[in-house]
Amino acid sequence: MAKPKIGIYGLTGCAGDQLNILNCEDELLKIFDIFEIKSFVMASSAADEESSLDVAFVEGSVSTEKDLEHLKEIRKKAKILVAIGHCAVYGGVQAMFMGQEWEKMYRRVYGKKNAVTLTKPLPPKPLAAYVKVDAVLPGCPIEKEPFLKLAGLLAKGVIPRHPDFPVCAECKWKENECLLLKGEICLGPLTNSGCGAICPSLNIPCIGCWGPIEKENWEAEAFLLKEKGFSTGDIVKRFSIFGGQERAEKLKKFLESKEG
Amino acid sequence: MERKVFIEPVARVEGHGGIEVFVEGNKVKEVKIDIFEGPRLMEELVRGKLPEEAVSITSRICAICFLSHRLSDIRAHERALWVEPSEKTKLLRKLAHYGEMIESHSLHYYLLALPDYLGYPDAISMMKAFPKEVKGALELKKYGNRVMEIVAGRRVHGENMRIGGFGALPSDEDLDWIATMAHSLIPEIERGLALWAKIEIPDYMEEKTTFASVWPEDGSYGFAADTIKISDGTELPADEYKTLTNEYVAPHSFAKRCRYKGKPYTVGALARMLLMSERLDGEAKKWFKKYYNERWWKNPHYNNIAQAIELLFCLEKIPALVEAIKKADYYEAGPSRQSGSGTGLVEAPRGLLIHHYEIEEGRVKDSDFVIPTTQNLDDMEKYIRIAAQNLIDQGAEELELPLEMIMRAYDPCISCSVHLVRVRR
Repeated sequence: MAKPKIGIYGLTGCAGDQLNILNCEDELLKIFDIFEIKSFVMASSAADEESSLDVAFVEGSVSTEKDLEHLKEIRKKAKILVAIGHCAVYGGVQAMFMGQEWEKMYRRVYGKKNAVTLTKPLPPKPLAAYVKVDAVLPGCPIEKEPFLKLAGLLAKGVIPRHPDFPVCAECKWKENECLLLKGEICLGPLTNSGCGAICPSLNIPCIGCWGPIEKENWEAEAFLLKEKGFSTGDIVKRFSIFGGQERAEKLKKFLESKEG
Repeated sequence: MERKVFIEPVARVEGHGGIEVFVEGNKVKEVKIDIFEGPRLMEELVRGKLPEEAVSITSRICAICFLSHRLSDIRAHERALWVEPSEKTKLLRKLAHYGEMIESHSLHYYLLALPDYLGYPDAISMMKAFPKEVKGALELKKYGNRVMEIVAGRRVHGENMRIGGFGALPSDEDLDWIATMAHSLIPEIERGLALWAKIEIPDYMEEKTTFASVWPEDGSYGFAADTIKISDGTELPADEYKTLTNEYVAPHSFAKRCRYKGKPYTVGALARMLLMSERLDGEAKKWFKKYYNERWWKNPHYNNIAQAIELLFCLEKIPALVEAIKKADYYEAGPSRQSGSGTGLVEAPRGLLIHHYEIEEGRVKDSDFVIPTTQNLDDMEKYIRIAAQNLIDQGAEELELPLEMIMRAYDPCISCSVHLVRVRR
């Protein structure tokens, strides 16, 4: 069987997901052996952008016209497109604000709308806002174990689904004391698993960096936090960091309607 | 005849950038480093947030130097809110910082930069000719990552380092492992250092520049301080960093630019080594003396060997540091006030990093982040311009690789440098 041809790409983000691929020090040579790597600009200057790909891994959010063009080119040549990392799957922390709010912020930072003429900036969005995404691996950043599992399955022609249970489950398996019940804003019950509940295991509340799970019960968590004495503003702010503006606004309306 | 050299994307750097060189006849008219990485508006994202939320958000500016961002952010908050961390906290932060230097420098020196000088497209292709060096590099990188994992919680975006202390302290077993391994890896880096002697360093861009780095008050060679040292002899307190940085916006870049007294300057391992070489000791000092010459002041290629010497420096310092950590007392420190301003200075692997905050009633009112690559961009453009002109005068066919190598020598971190732009009106 011919080696699957893959490309690893980055749009706007911190490059942490590509870095965590390079951080598979023990497995790196094997990855280069199992796959034929056509493009991995962060690691090599020998790129072949003409070839079609079996799998493209893309990290980063679409934040400029150039990002968007690049993504469309990748989509065209890849059989399977995998969004890796929070930015590609959910838009990243930069997707905390959208619409008019984002435009105001942009002007505050860059002075005027056209101060930078290189390419047109766009409000940051995940890949799926523009193209079909075949598989996702969330995480800020992605972790080594889930990535290797994903890559292994893809090499065998399987398109895996990210498991839809929360960090809270991983945390229970570790028998950690519950931080939410101790009165901290822990987003473990609402956040995608995969990290192994690293932060709560270090006595640090989950900030939600693997993004919201599909069937999240945010009403229940929001109520619990209200009961613990947190203000609507503080709860909404915390939810928005890795959960995006839309979800935060829904939460805000919900909490305000209950208060009213 | 008009000619345009366009290198995009620049490979083996973190983030998305390009180099444009415009040539008319035999004259280089313009050089531009384009930064395509999109804007992320970090200063806006932290507005109104709690200090600990800001720390988690700003560490996402960059993956490769997340830990430096986190340290710089924590320092700024601790200065703004008058938090005095315990001795153990300070020493553990230093250890984590060494871990990041080891991880980042081994990635850059061996896997991103050396392939250029030895004629390969990447480190994997170097495996046949240099198996020991490449495997050694991966060992060093893995070790640096493990140190960060143990102390900071994760290899990338670890959350364990907090304002005032740690979520959880590392065990003595893990600390002992860190000390033992540091000692055993010294031969690996010495092998890598020896490789430099085989390399002929290009000289077609040489010109003197200004350097800046932190200037630790305790007289040590270090990566965090409250003072900036500039190679013209100036010393600046942290809060006066703008005297050095003077940021401005360029239309071809989402990253801002910096000039000191109207001129470009350089930060990074080379700056640190030139400004603090008197403070080196041990084997690191010997290797510095072996390789140092006057060309270091005018040639950015020496940043690579400065990084390799720092790798050795960190490994040599770790065992004694671990002993001190085990003896030191720990407490969790809280804020003494809820409003104030503060500046956190650290050295990221690629140079001086500054986070500044104004906090009001326990919330972020305003912030400013000045990034190493932002500070280096103007000098990068300057050196690329000089190199392009000299290479054309010498009738060189290929401009792309030599120019890209200059940019790569700076170990640029393009993700970091973007979105960190602010217009003062």
